[in-house]
Amino acid sequence: MASASATVAVAEQPPDTRGPSAPLPRGVLALGTAALGLVLIGTVTIQIWFAVAGGALTNACVEKGLTHYDPASGNGIKGAEGICHMVTALRSGAESAALWGGIALGVIALAIGFRVYRRMDTVRRREQAVAGAVLGVQGAVLGAFLLWFRSTDTVFAFVRNFLNFTPLRPYQKAFFVGAKNTVELAAVGEIGGIIIGLTLAMFILSSRRVVRAPARVYINFFRGTPLIWQLSFFYFALSLGLGLHLGAYIVAMIVFSLNTGAYASEVFRAGIQSIERGQIEAARGLGFSYLQAMRFCIVPQAVRRVIPPLLNEFVILIKDTSLVIVLGLLATQYDLYSTAQNAYSDTFYASSFVAAAIGYLVVTLPMIGVVNKVERRLRSGLVGIGGQAGM
Amino acid sequence: MSDGMEGVVPETPHLLLNDDHSMVRVEGLHKWFGTNHVLKGIDLSMPQGDVLVVIGPSGSGKSTLLRCVNLLEVPSQGSVWFGGRNICDIRTNLNEVRTHIGIVFQAYNLFPHKSVSQNITMALERVLRLPRGEATERAMEQLRHVGLENKADAYPGQLSGGQQQRVAIARALAMKPRVMLFDEVTSALDPELVKEVLDVMTQLAKEGMTMMVVTHEMGFAREVGKRMIFMDDGVILEDGDPREMFTQPKHPRLQQFFSQIL
Repeated sequence: MASASATVAVAEQPPDTRGPSAPLPRGVLALGTAALGLVLIGTVTIQIWFAVAGGALTNACVEKGLTHYDPASGNGIKGAEGICHMVTALRSGAESAALWGGIALGVIALAIGFRVYRRMDTVRRREQAVAGAVLGVQGAVLGAFLLWFRSTDTVFAFVRNFLNFTPLRPYQKAFFVGAKNTVELAAVGEIGGIIIGLTLAMFILSSRRVVRAPARVYINFFRGTPLIWQLSFFYFALSLGLGLHLGAYIVAMIVFSLNTGAYASEVFRAGIQSIERGQIEAARGLGFSYLQAMRFCIVPQAVRRVIPPLLNEFVILIKDTSLVIVLGLLATQYDLYSTAQNAYSDTFYASSFVAAAIGYLVVTLPMIGVVNKVERRLRSGLVGIGGQAGM
Repeated sequence: MSDGMEGVVPETPHLLLNDDHSMVRVEGLHKWFGTNHVLKGIDLSMPQGDVLVVIGPSGSGKSTLLRCVNLLEVPSQGSVWFGGRNICDIRTNLNEVRTHIGIVFQAYNLFPHKSVSQNITMALERVLRLPRGEATERAMEQLRHVGLENKADAYPGQLSGGQQQRVAIARALAMKPRVMLFDEVTSALDPELVKEVLDVMTQLAKEGMTMMVVTHEMGFAREVGKRMIFMDDGVILEDGDPREMFTQPKHPRLQQFFSQIL
């Protein structure tokens, strides 16, 4: 009875015990922040400034072979002006000022911060001095790198190949379709995989060897052969070879489901086995059959625990969908990577791969964020397995 | 273990006693865990209304014996009789048998993802197939019995250990079992929470429930137990009236056991 009402109290913030700050460490932190900020924000601002200002090709650019694109004759380089603006901005006096300023501030922050941090008498002061010195190092290193990089000749080739998105304009829609297809393939594969995985997990947890064995064979097969082989085999050997003529896209969805099922089954098995033995004993003791106990008591608890690893599987699958390129899809079925590859072989601009990377990250980064958040909450016990904290 | 719901033996065991008019009878029970011989030939008979207390040092096989009664542990050899039949027969519908034998564990084992009342109604609805209203009614009745009707919507994680254990008892009682098994139900509790659980069990014994209680609570054993057995190393060394055994332990091992703990 004693501790009954203590559990639902509003969480009280623990006191801040880092102690007061002081002008010196605060100054070091400001210097370090300014160093990195000057290099990063300065460079971005100058780039925007030059891009907005526009202007014709400079002599330096023309010397490096950047010529205006003439749609009528097809001569020149698509996006030549854009490339020229980026390089010109990078080599401008304003950029020099930002980079040298950043390096100077960074070195000063490092020098002061490193000298004084040991003498700081509160945690906050010491942490500020250290953080300022570290930020200073980052600003100085990044500034020095950009300073070197802009002086090389490679900078023209780099910008032209990787940051020139003008030639990709005709592929804009294709990239969005590709992103949609990637997510579609991965989502269907994951859902199919969860269903197959849960079923397989039931089999491999059986006490009967004759039930476990076929599930083991399946799992070992799909975990032991490369996904690219599975795609090829199921499409070329089974679908085409046996004359089933399922489309490549459908075969890909099936193979992703089968493959993810093998991995998800191990996730589910581990999740189910992580539920304390007492839970199934309590259920069986009440007269539940084995399957009822699984369905009503064990699996609902296990599912909450396996959400992070399953989302991880999903992130992996999103990237693995790029393997469908071996199947020769229709243009409307291209995933992100196929789209990029296709755009590259048409234009020879590697910017298409950069665009694809951005597409993948837009999908995967939020997922990774969700995984980390759920994991943190599960670890902290806030979610509990009860429903009280919601989930 | 059979998972089918069809009973092989048609009789309704909740009306029947064993041939010797006992509620539970254990005959020549042996249990091996691998090469570890845990129970070495146990014979035991519990009449209706018996309150049997099992004491002994840890590792003596008390809990295993108790868990063999509802076949959570399958005996390696020997038989367990309940409701007039040998439930070690693999054709027995154990799920049905277990609805008549309530069990409460040391670690409570409430379902953490279900509220207190759902913990109780789940088996009533899914196993006994009672309609929801009736199940809820029975759950509230049992919660009143253990003094927790105001916690019906709480989750196990929000309750103290003593409250969780009382819910576990209510969950078992809601099935209207003929026998209750208690497996060291107060061992995981803070000392100040032990009494509230023992009070519920004492009340239950007064109401005439047939109980088998594995415990280290010697006070409870003496006051509430109608019969006590002392186990060591997988055998029953002494069997008798609790008060007599406490005042005049016959077996030297029991005398030594008492000298260690009392």
